[in-house]
Amino acid sequence: MKNACEIWKDQLLEAALTGSLTAGLEEHLRTCTICSEELGNIRARKARLDTLLPFVAQRSEPSANFRAQVLAAARAAREGKRARPWRVWRLAGATAVVVVVLMMGLTLQRRTARMIPENELAAAQKLTEWRAPSDGLLVTPGQEILRTMPRLGESYLDVPVKTDEEE
Amino acid sequence: MIGVCVSAQIARTEPHNPEAGLGERIAENQRRVFQIAYSVLGNSADAEDAAQEAFLRAYQKFASLREAEKFRPWVNRIVFRLALNRQRDYRRRLARDTAWQVTETPVMVDGAKDAEQLVMLDRLRREIERLPEKLRSVLQLSLVEEMDASDVGAVLGIPAGTVRSRLHTARKLLLEVMK
Repeated sequence: MKNACEIWKDQLLEAALTGSLTAGLEEHLRTCTICSEELGNIRARKARLDTLLPFVAQRSEPSANFRAQVLAAARAAREGKRARPWRVWRLAGATAVVVVVLMMGLTLQRRTARMIPENELAAAQKLTEWRAPSDGLLVTPGQEILRTMPRLGESYLDVPVKTDEEE
Repeated sequence: MIGVCVSAQIARTEPHNPEAGLGERIAENQRRVFQIAYSVLGNSADAEDAAQEAFLRAYQKFASLREAEKFRPWVNRIVFRLALNRQRDYRRRLARDTAWQVTETPVMVDGAKDAEQLVMLDRLRREIERLPEKLRSVLQLSLVEEMDASDVGAVLGIPAGTVRSRLHTARKLLLEVMK
């Protein structure tokens, strides 16, 4: 296509698509063989496009068992939904059992604590105050000296410090 | 009229056997729903998955649709959105997985038998992919059987006149590039 004919490009496409020519284009085509040839090419391309475009979608179909597959999936989804309340009830039941067992345990523990007899309590108290007989053997005289001896930096004599006014 | 009668019948039978109602709806709509998915995704396996998901979603939410007659545009919209989402995911994965590759993976096309036609169809699909989204959506939906301008407009939420105008522009662009 010549540069001068570029202005007709859009009209040529329109002519091929709509099948009708404008008066101006018709007149141009009478004198311009290049544009006439181009229009022929575009028309051929349009015919090819019209053949191909249906293949983009129309010439295709779902498989024969498509409907059965969807129905099976729908049934599975429905049964899954139906099964869900059972799961909830099962969880609720398990929680209730755990709570009951805990409460029973606590009650039993409290009752057991109340039922300890007095003599057993006294025996337990004695047991806490019990000292082994060998504890006395471990006591040495030096221990008392060490307890009463002043520590490092301390004095034997407890002399009050004189102030300036007393002097 | 027959469609309305069938839908009314389905609505009556549905509470007792929901799958029976769904079966009828699949029979009425499966071809179109599948083709919508196919026009976007370009292969049967993915299109079938998207169509199946669309029917299941429509089935699960059917209670929210008060008028049974609106099932057709409703399921059309669902499958179109699902197909677009799948395609976006696919593109993202492809861009991530094949970023190091220079060559393009040839796309298998179903339906066309002739080798030259397969090549041309592959090229046409790529050209359609390159169209602006507004034009591409209109073209893809218009190529589906039983989908007129008002059906396409119902899916995309635009008037039928706009659909026709965009379709014309899309075809013109394709005609220009498919030399």
